[in-house]
Amino acid sequence: MSENGCAIVTESLTKRFGRKLALDQVSARVPRGSIYGLMGPNGAGKTTFVRCLLNLVNPTRGSARVLGHDVVRDSVAVRQRVGHVAALQPLWEWMTVRQFAEFMAGCYPRWSQEAVSGILTRVGIDQGDRLQDLSRGQRALAALAVAIGHEPDLLLLDEALTGLDPISRREVLRSVIDVMHAEGRTVLITGQDIAAMERICDYVGFLIKGRLFWESPLDDLKARVKRIRIEHPGAAPPEVPAGATKVERGARETQFTVTDYSPGLAEPLAGPGRRVEVVDLSLEDIFVDLAQPQLTAAGPAAAPAQV
Amino acid sequence: MFNSINPKSAVPIYRQIMDQIRRGVAAGTLAPGDQLPSVRELAAQLLINPNTAARVYRDLERDGLLETRRGQGTYISADASAMAESERKRIIAERLEEVAREVRAFALSEEEALRLFRDILNRRGGRKDQR
Repeated sequence: MSENGCAIVTESLTKRFGRKLALDQVSARVPRGSIYGLMGPNGAGKTTFVRCLLNLVNPTRGSARVLGHDVVRDSVAVRQRVGHVAALQPLWEWMTVRQFAEFMAGCYPRWSQEAVSGILTRVGIDQGDRLQDLSRGQRALAALAVAIGHEPDLLLLDEALTGLDPISRREVLRSVIDVMHAEGRTVLITGQDIAAMERICDYVGFLIKGRLFWESPLDDLKARVKRIRIEHPGAAPPEVPAGATKVERGARETQFTVTDYSPGLAEPLAGPGRRVEVVDLSLEDIFVDLAQPQLTAAGPAAAPAQV
Repeated sequence: MFNSINPKSAVPIYRQIMDQIRRGVAAGTLAPGDQLPSVRELAAQLLINPNTAARVYRDLERDGLLETRRGQGTYISADASAMAESERKRIIAERLEEVAREVRAFALSEEEALRLFRDILNRRGGRKDQR
């Protein structure tokens, strides 16, 4: 994908905290107009990635461009065009929601109080309430409402769904969908709520041990990662293709997951006495099948044959 | 009008919505001239990516099931009722395809398979469709 078509482009972005490699040569492409879900286990580097984009963390090596701006050299320009919501971000607790919005409005050259009030009114948050008196879900919604006040072209939601009750989570998703309706806006969302991310994301990236292990449209991921089940009662077990993961060999049944499925792949596995079944996987299944072998193996994550 | 979708299903969300509309046309619950929600409404209602909603409409329009009237919205097309019959057959054929695979895998004879199917068709007040 050309850099022009991307809201975020990183090149070998690397961040080391002491001995820990938080990001390991991440070259990500987040297409404009997409809702991109960055997934990964705890400690995979998701938040460090987001903080690099906002220049809150300095990369050790590599570079990142957001909406065409270098995040280190043009950090002010980036901040003007990006909205950011993080889980449990500290807010000025003593402020009312209205004061918080007014304070943030002062930080930007343009501001749409209409957009902010639109969300607050829809979800029933009284702007006269103090932030400290809001529930966890309401805080997340208030933070989201204020984060879109300057009508950002890119919205970064870092674990913004984490720990929310189902109703607040739906309201956050609904607001993200409304925000997206504006032409060309991009959303990067990190987290572990896979079912929610599967609803709204059209792109996914898997970050494992600081490495971008997979990146593609969600539909491509689902088309390429399949579980193959072969029943072979009374016949010899099939040869398991190289690169298959989660291989389970039984006397009469063999199963494994492939990351490069095509209809031609199953043919050579069939034969007399063998029955081949290609099983579709949910995003959660895919995540577990791809991530688990990496997490249990020592050393850095190894990328699949083709990404 | 739309059932909720199941994001945990291995069937892509795009397919799930597409199938619901096709099924509605086949069953007659969606008739020519019926207006569908806008892309934005559909996305908000089902909590899905607006790009996905837009793609469903675009592809069904290409297939002739939907038509978009400029500035007015998206409607079930006039041709849809003519397509209902073929949609019904297509949906059944898809299901039977799966069954046929199992029949071959278990090496059941054609006569046995057809007899089973006939028995099921003729059973009155049988079990409800589990799907």
